[in-house]
Amino acid sequence: MRALVLLLVCLALRAQAADPAKILHLTFAAAETGFDPARVSDYYSGTVIEAIFEPLLTYDYLARPAQLVPGTAEAMPAVSADGRTYTLHVRKGVFFADDPVFKGKRRELIAQDYAWSIGRFLDPKTRSPYAFLFENIAALETPERYALVVRLKHADRNFPHVLAFPLAGALAREAVEGYGDETPSHPVGTGPFRLKRYVRSSKIVLEANPGYRERIWRGKRLPMIGGVEISIMEETQSRWLAFQRGETDMEYQLAEIATTFMTDDGKLRPEFARRGIQLERSVDPEITYLYFNTQEKIGGKPNPVGGFAKEKIALRRAIAMAYDVDDQIRILRKGQAVRAHFPIPPGVAGHDPDYRTSIPYDPAMANALLDRYAYKRGADGFRSMPDGSPLTVRYSSTPSERDRQFDELMKRSLDSIGVRLEIHKDRFPELIKLENECRLMMRGAAWIADYPDGDNFMQLAYGPNSGQSNNACYRSAEYDRRYESSRRLPDGPQRNRLYHEMARIIETDTAWLLLDSRYRNVLLQPYVRNFKKHPVLHAEWLYLDLDR
Amino acid sequence: MTAYVVRRVWQFFPTLGGVVLLVFFLFNWVGGDPAYLLVGKIPSPERIEEIRRGLGVDQPYVVQLWIFVKQIASADFGASWATNERVSHIFATRLGPSLTVLLPLLVVSTALSMVAAMLVAYVRGSLTDRAIMVGCTVGQSISILVYILALQYLLAYRLGWFPVQGWGSTLGENLWRYSALPILVGVIVSLAPDIRLYRSFFLDEINQDYVRTARAKGLGEGRVMGIHVLRNAAIPIVTNVMIQLPGLLAGAFLIERFFSIPGIGREVILAVERSDFPVIKAVTVYVAVATMAVNLAADLIYRTLDPRVRLD
Repeated sequence: MRALVLLLVCLALRAQAADPAKILHLTFAAAETGFDPARVSDYYSGTVIEAIFEPLLTYDYLARPAQLVPGTAEAMPAVSADGRTYTLHVRKGVFFADDPVFKGKRRELIAQDYAWSIGRFLDPKTRSPYAFLFENIAALETPERYALVVRLKHADRNFPHVLAFPLAGALAREAVEGYGDETPSHPVGTGPFRLKRYVRSSKIVLEANPGYRERIWRGKRLPMIGGVEISIMEETQSRWLAFQRGETDMEYQLAEIATTFMTDDGKLRPEFARRGIQLERSVDPEITYLYFNTQEKIGGKPNPVGGFAKEKIALRRAIAMAYDVDDQIRILRKGQAVRAHFPIPPGVAGHDPDYRTSIPYDPAMANALLDRYAYKRGADGFRSMPDGSPLTVRYSSTPSERDRQFDELMKRSLDSIGVRLEIHKDRFPELIKLENECRLMMRGAAWIADYPDGDNFMQLAYGPNSGQSNNACYRSAEYDRRYESSRRLPDGPQRNRLYHEMARIIETDTAWLLLDSRYRNVLLQPYVRNFKKHPVLHAEWLYLDLDR
Repeated sequence: MTAYVVRRVWQFFPTLGGVVLLVFFLFNWVGGDPAYLLVGKIPSPERIEEIRRGLGVDQPYVVQLWIFVKQIASADFGASWATNERVSHIFATRLGPSLTVLLPLLVVSTALSMVAAMLVAYVRGSLTDRAIMVGCTVGQSISILVYILALQYLLAYRLGWFPVQGWGSTLGENLWRYSALPILVGVIVSLAPDIRLYRSFFLDEINQDYVRTARAKGLGEGRVMGIHVLRNAAIPIVTNVMIQLPGLLAGAFLIERFFSIPGIGREVILAVERSDFPVIKAVTVYVAVATMAVNLAADLIYRTLDPRVRLD
């Protein structure tokens, strides 16, 4: 009788397990770099890693704004009174996917795996691009097999987001040591999928991990699909034709040809809607912005847009008011972006959809402002500095075709207020180098959320971050004081009030002109179920079902 | 002959030395500091220095150049800066797909071009000749990108004769299923310039005295064209084909990108985009060595085709 019950239970579980016939086909627009979590920074590798490894905490798939929930941790962390010690307990009975490196034994996940894996981010030998996220960790301790204690150098309310960072999953030390340099192509994790076949820069085939811990969602065991087959297709036409021919099941990298399948109001064109194709549209948790170097001097020479004297702020303000962000969205983004008013984008805690920037597009007012502060026009139509010296503003960009379009819009904008523009072209690494040395005058920048909390964006203008993420090298005592206060507060009205004030301070000083946040348009075949774009998680495959 | 080969091989070294210097200084001049590409979103000076140290780009240029020379001598270019994959593994795994497409492409396009060129040269001045030459001129004027976009759309998407893109796991599947359309595109693109070029080679020979003599002896036109003219026209054709051979090492990046072929051409473009110097170094050196080797081979083949050729 017991055997019969056991058999029935096994059969029931088997019926609910991932269906191997359901394979999700999708594409990446660029090649991955590998699947060692501590060593990658590209979106594509990160997405696959997210499907293979599991962090202690994660996010609820459907909650917006994003909401933290336990991952492999039994519960949310216990935080000490001083906010500097986090204690977590790893779930018992979670196992790594079977792999030859374990020599036929099942390998259970323990707290030491997290201590070791997170420690790799801080090891100089790993050269991790995300080391900065973990630099506040003073010590990682494992007093018990399943208990992890993280001690921080300073209290940080956002630390749970770091624990939920999709690349902060656990690796088995013996797997990394066993595979050595080949670790990026032999990921062994506890996640819902495992790597089945891998042809670098071409094909990534994942299969449902049969040993994945039991997770039930909407009455079904996760994952519901049997695998994911990813093809690297760099060219838009190839991806678009492959999707239309049904060779792929979802496609989300078609911004350049969005008008082919979307109407001006962001709806799917009727011919595609009639075929049952689904469009899931969301705004990426990112901002793009134009920054002005606010330092008085650049490399020992006077910086025309730097400093906080009224006429300098007036010049920055005039440039910002002459730049038509709506034209940027309409012409350069082909309508696939929304105007960014607030430094924190939609989907991120702290975002205020009702906030409106105080910097309008108004070239006439910009001209009047420059006239008022004695930026006089010469015979050639261009203005000089109030002291009569020549005025030339330098804008930096890469030699790419896309940046050339931005250059032209900037030139047109500055021509409209009589400010002479010099375009400085350099290679991307050199621009970053100059930016870190606070030696660029003006440049367009973008920031996408590392974690869905406003702090990740508001730190971009924090003075001590100059030369790192604060590329305007902006230093405002008023801003910094509020930022430091905001770090001690949880997400809520009190912190939001500070964020409002900080946004207005940036506008008052005009250190930035906020530009836009881009749309992500995901096209899905009619039979793809349960997709909802998450602001931070990218491997939504865990929750998808295919109902062909 | 042996002395000639030894002399030519000896000449490889100064040529390769020039290539090494050129690549090294070009990369250091225009390539940018790779540490800033690898450091991530929030760089600190310490992290940047750690990365520079790890990559060896903090060493004096002379030391870096010496390491480069040693890498060439040992044929070990280390690992990719971007992916940590061994450069030797990159070549071992990407060359196969490139050759799967490019070798048949070269063979088919050369054979077709030679036959077509011989025929139009034979009917030179006729309406057929003129029409084909106009067609070739027009065809040659159109970018390869247009051929790829149009043929992929028409033959793969609209007619469904081929997959839009993809790559399988067996040679047969890749050759017959996934390479067919890329090869067809490549053949169509190369036919126009090759026919024009080879036609001129055949025309040069058709007017020679030995052709008139052969005809006067009563030889058939097939024998005159297929044996006598072809044998002599083959020398410049061999040169042209041999020139293309080193290109097989560098792949055909546009075809590989559009049809998602995991070949070396895509990898080279990726390496350039990522400032991945180890891969760029290896490709450049291999292509330079292959070019020199192929030039030598071409000279030896001339002699086989025409014993009158002297290798001095």
